Amino acid sequence: MHIGDGLIPTEQAAIYWIVALVFISLSLKWARKEMDEAKVPMFAALAAGIFAIQAMNIPIPWGTSGHMLGGVMAAIILGSPFAGVLLLTLVLIVQGFLFADGGILAMGANILNMGVIASFTGYYAFMALKGSLGMVKASYIGGWVGIVIGAEAVAIQFAVAGIFPLIPGMTWMGIYHAVIGVVAEGLVTAIVIGSIMQTRPDLIVSSSKVGA
Amino acid sequence: MSPENKKILMVGAIIAIILSVLAPFLASSNPDGLDKNVIEFVGGGSEEKAEEIIGEKNKVAYESPFPDYSIEGMHKIGEVLAILIGTVIMLALGLGVSILLKKKK
Repeated sequence: MHIGDGLIPTEQAAIYWIVALVFISLSLKWARKEMDEAKVPMFAALAAGIFAIQAMNIPIPWGTSGHMLGGVMAAIILGSPFAGVLLLTLVLIVQGFLFADGGILAMGANILNMGVIASFTGYYAFMALKGSLGMVKASYIGGWVGIVIGAEAVAIQFAVAGIFPLIPGMTWMGIYHAVIGVVAEGLVTAIVIGSIMQTRPDLIVSSSKVGA
Repeated sequence: MSPENKKILMVGAIIAIILSVLAPFLASSNPDGLDKNVIEFVGGGSEEKAEEIIGEKNKVAYESPFPDYSIEGMHKIGEVLAILIGTVIMLALGLGVSILLKKKK
């Protein structure tokens, strides 16, 4: 889902950068308030783990592939969608500058889609469902919702930029990422949350938060 | 850092390193969902045509040291090394940023 340079016009890319910067500064504010001794190793472990798992593209039909994003997983574990924003921002900076995975001008849009929109929608879907479905099922659906809505955000930006026609773009971005959401994002999010719940449930901040 | 917290960091680092080593061998080289749509809608089904059109429009001259998670001329070993470098940087960056932002007692 990484947008490269040369696709979105400069003015539009600048607007996405500005919106992304607002959320990055809010995520820094979250970290200054909530980051403590116990969250430091988890934050670093998630940063490395999410970067590595993003290199693992899983094949899906139509000659396509995809990987998980991980922001929803980070948000659930650390108890705030801003954790997902901050983590994915660091991942996308390293991917863009070192590995040409996602552009530099387009990095604002990538942070907005994969960091902000996916983390927020997925985290709040999880929070709404965890009371009735439990942590594991709710985190599966949360992960799925995040990547699908993030993909639709790309489709809308590309329609605005005149790159994709709106409806076919949204349809195909939706179909591909709905499958990736089932086989990667939702599944891995649920497995990770499930394993931590069994061994160290105290490490998952959102498990003790009251559902929305 | 307490032994408990060190353990969390170690488990995360080990999982990330295992994923980094396996990724070049297991990851699918098919285009991802977005790239597939770009090939269809921009290149009319041709990857080369899509790249040509995007390349003409691209105004960013920056060149990454390890494009596509690879090191020139080093094949699979280069891919493993590139992803490992990224994973180590992420671990250091994650630690550095979270320690810097940690609330003061």
